[in-house]
Amino acid sequence: MDRETSSPDSPGRLFDKDALFDKPEALKGVRVLEVCSVVLGPAACDYLGEFGAEVIKFEGQKGDQMRFVTPYAWFWKGMSPGLEIENHNKYWMGMHVGNPRARELFLDLVKKADVVVDNLTPGRMAAWGLDYRKLKEINPGIIHLHVSGYGSWGPWTGRTSYDAVAQSMGALAPITGFEDRGPIKSGVWIADWITGLMCANAILSALNYRERTGEGQFIDYLQVENVIRFLDWTWLYAFKTGEDRKRSGNRDLAICPSDLFDCLDGQVALAAFSGEEFRGLCAAMDRMDLMEKFADPLERLRDGNARELLGHVADWAATRPVEEVVALADEHGFGASPVLEAKDVYHGEHFRERGAVQEYDDPLYGSMTQQCYPPVMSETPGRLKWSCRPLGFDNRYVLKKILGLPDEEIRRLEDQGVIFRWNPKVPSQCPPPGWDGKSGVKLG
Amino acid sequence: MKRGEMEDAKIVGLSTHPEYAKWAHRETDPGNVCRKPEALDDMLVLDASHGSFAGLFASSLLAEMGAEVIRMEPPGGDLARKMTPYGMMIGDAGLGYITEGRNKFHITLDIATGEGKELFRKLAKKADVLIHTFKPGTLEGLGLGYGPLREENPGLIFTAIHTYGQFGADAERHANQPGYDILDQARGVVMSVTGEPDLDPEVPTEYKKPLKQGNWMGWYAGGAWAAFGIQMAMFRKRRTGKGQFIDASPPEGLMAISNYVMQYFHMSGNQMPRAGNFDYAVFPYTYVKCSDGFTFISGFSDPNWSALCEIMNRPDLQERFPTIRERLNPENQPVIQHEIELFTARYTSDEIQGMITAYGKKPDKKGTVVTGRLETPGDVLKRDHWEARETFVRRDDPHYGEILVPNSTFKSMSATPGRVKWVCRPIGADNEFIYGKYLGLGGRQLTALKENGVV
Repeated sequence: MDRETSSPDSPGRLFDKDALFDKPEALKGVRVLEVCSVVLGPAACDYLGEFGAEVIKFEGQKGDQMRFVTPYAWFWKGMSPGLEIENHNKYWMGMHVGNPRARELFLDLVKKADVVVDNLTPGRMAAWGLDYRKLKEINPGIIHLHVSGYGSWGPWTGRTSYDAVAQSMGALAPITGFEDRGPIKSGVWIADWITGLMCANAILSALNYRERTGEGQFIDYLQVENVIRFLDWTWLYAFKTGEDRKRSGNRDLAICPSDLFDCLDGQVALAAFSGEEFRGLCAAMDRMDLMEKFADPLERLRDGNARELLGHVADWAATRPVEEVVALADEHGFGASPVLEAKDVYHGEHFRERGAVQEYDDPLYGSMTQQCYPPVMSETPGRLKWSCRPLGFDNRYVLKKILGLPDEEIRRLEDQGVIFRWNPKVPSQCPPPGWDGKSGVKLG
Repeated sequence: MKRGEMEDAKIVGLSTHPEYAKWAHRETDPGNVCRKPEALDDMLVLDASHGSFAGLFASSLLAEMGAEVIRMEPPGGDLARKMTPYGMMIGDAGLGYITEGRNKFHITLDIATGEGKELFRKLAKKADVLIHTFKPGTLEGLGLGYGPLREENPGLIFTAIHTYGQFGADAERHANQPGYDILDQARGVVMSVTGEPDLDPEVPTEYKKPLKQGNWMGWYAGGAWAAFGIQMAMFRKRRTGKGQFIDASPPEGLMAISNYVMQYFHMSGNQMPRAGNFDYAVFPYTYVKCSDGFTFISGFSDPNWSALCEIMNRPDLQERFPTIRERLNPENQPVIQHEIELFTARYTSDEIQGMITAYGKKPDKKGTVVTGRLETPGDVLKRDHWEARETFVRRDDPHYGEILVPNSTFKSMSATPGRVKWVCRPIGADNEFIYGKYLGLGGRQLTALKENGVV
C-alpha cells in the first residue's frame, strides 16, 4: 500500500510541511501572561506559544536566570543558549509586576488575557496583591496556574525545588542508573520539562472547561508530585512488596527482552515482548530453542530467566554491527534502534520531513534549526516563528497594541523605570553585537 | 496546641504567606474534590492502544479530567497487562496496567473479524477521540484508517502513537517494527547524554554508555504529549466542529526537551558529552555520596560556592576554582565532585542538612547552599506532605484487592480537579454496559458475539 500519495487522507498529504503556515493555529486568540523564570514555567508557556497562543513574558531588572545559565559559560551572538530553548514566539516585557505602577499595567493586561502562569515562590503573587482572588475580580474567566516544587500549601510548601531536587525527591534519580552503581540524574532538566508539559495539559483542561461554561479557575501544580506520577509501577510495587524498585541500567524489569546491547560498532536498543515479536527475534538469532524455552512472557520476566535470556541476546549482538541488528528487526518484526545523538536528529531527513525539526530565519539571530514541539497535527501544526529576545524588547509593542498607550506615556513609564530594557553592560540581556537597531522590532 | 492550630501548621508549612496558604488549601482541599465538576466529562475517548503505556497514559490523563474512556482490548487482553516487574500479576493485570486502568471502561473486541470491524466503526462514529498504537498501516489495512472514519465522523480526533510515527523516511523503513519505551528513549536524544560521565577517569569504561531513565519515560512523556495534542484539538473542535489527525511519535517528545544539545550543535558544531551527575551549565549542582546514601548539593554562583567551601572548610577549593568558568570546565568537574565527596561521605544526609541549615542562619553567611536527600520510593510513601496532599490513592478494589496508585496530579484545580474514581477493571468487564449503552446490543446478541470470538 502506498501510504504516501494514494489518497488525500494519506499522512504524506495531510501533514505536508510546505503548507505549515497556510494552516490555522490551535490556540489562536489565547493570550498568556508569563510571570516565570528559569525552565519549568517558561517551558509550559512555550508549549502553548508554538501552537499559537500569544505569550507575553515579564522579566525583572536582572532578567530571566537562564540568561546566565549556559554550557561552559559560553554565549552565542551574546545570547545564552540556555534561554533560547524554552522561549519561542513570545513577546518580551521588561517590567517587574510587583512594582505598584507596573501592577496596574499588569492588571490591565489581565483584563484582556486568558491565562496567567507563575512559578515564583508560593505566596509571592499574593504578597503583590496579584493572586487569583485579585485576578478573578478583574477578569472572572481568568485561569491562573501556579507551579512550585511542593505547591501552595502543606508541610513542605515554601521549600526550594530545582530540577535535580525534584528528580531526587520524587525518586526518579534513585531508580535510574546501573545495577550496583549510584543513582544518575537525567542528562537534561527532565523534571522541569515534563512538569511544564503537564502544566500545559492542566491549562488546556481549564480552557476546555471555560469554553463550555465561561468559568476560569486557580490551578496549584506540584513539580515533585509530577515526577512521582511518571514512575509507572514503582509505587504499587513498593506498596505490595515493601521493597524499593532496584536500579537496573537499561534492562526493563517489566518487559523482556528490552535492553541496550553492545554491538561491534556501538549499541543497539532492542525489544521483543509479544509472542510474534519474540519469535521473530529467535528466528533472526537462529535460536528457535529459546522460543520454546521462554515462550511465556510472564515466565521470561522472572529474574533468573530474564538474565539468562538477555545473556544470549548480548552474546549474539556482540558479534554484529548495529545496522545488521536493525535490518533484522525490520525483517522479522521486533524492535531495534541505535541511540540517536543530537547530530543524528539535526541531520535526520525523517525529522525534517515531519516538521519535528524546523528551520526558520530569525530577524535577530539569523538561521536557526531546532526542534518544534510535538505532536504533529494535521489541521493545526506547531511552528517556530522567532527566538528568544533581549530584555524588554517588545515593551512598546505590547503597551501600544494591547493597551493602546501613546508614545509619550510609554516614554514616561521608561523614565520612571516602570518598564525597562536591556542593560548594555550585561551582554546576555542585549541584542547581538552589530544589531542594526531595527531588525525584529515590532511596531518600531 | 489545639487541634485547629495543628491543622493550620500542616497547611501553612514553611510558607512565607500563611494567609495565602490557607486560602489555597480551601480552594484545592482534596476532601472536596468529589463534589466538584469535571473539565472533560462531555468527551468520549476510544483507547484502542495495544502494548503501549504511551497510549494508556494519554487516556489516563483524559480520564482523570472526566472524559469517558472506553478501553478496547483484544479478547485475550492487552499485552500491556503482562508488562510487570518480574512477572508479578494481580488477577489478570500487572502492576503497571493497574496503575493506568483508572476511570476507564474495559471492553474487548477482535477488530480483525468482520463483525469486529463493524463494531469498531460504529464506536468510532460516536467518539471524539480515537487513540491507537498499532504499526502504521494496520488500521488502514482493515479499512479503519483516518479516511473512512473521518467520512463518518468529521469531528474525530484520530490519534496514532508509534515510535517511528506514521510518515517520514524512518516510518517507511521501520514500518514492520513495534513501538517500545526503550526504542522511544533510544531515539529521543536524552538517553545519549544520560549516564555515567564520559570525562570522569574514576568511572570504569563498561559504564560509559547511554542510559535510559529508570521509568518508562519515553512512554509517559509520549503519552503526555499526545494528551496535550488531543486537548488542543478538542479546544479547536469546540469552535469549528472539526477533528484532525494527530501523529504522536514519543521520541519526538523527548528530543524536543533535550535541553540545548541541538541548539549547541547548531551554534557551535559540537555535541555535549554525557555529564552524569555533573552539569556543564550549572555546577556544583550534583548528587554526592554521603554515609547513608546520596544527597543533592548545589553551590553554583560565586557567593554560593564561597558558602559551600566555607561549610566544608576548604578555602583552597575556592582559590583553585574561583569563577563559574573554572567550575563549568568539564575537566574540573570530576575533581570538584570528588573533593566534595571527601567531605560529605563522612556524614549522613541529615547531618549535612543540619550543617547547611545552621550555616544558613549565620548573619555573616556568604551565600546559599541547597541540599536534599535522594528519596527512595519507600521514603516517599512515608512523608507527611504527600499524605496531606493526597498524592497517593489507596483503595480496597473489588477485583484487585488492596491497591495504592499515584493520584491525579490535576487534583489541585479549584473548579475541575482531576481524580481517580476507580482503579482498574478486568478484561471485558464492561462489555455489557458499553455495548448496550452505545450500540444497543443486549444479552443474546452479546452472547452470540462472544461465541464467535468477537468480544
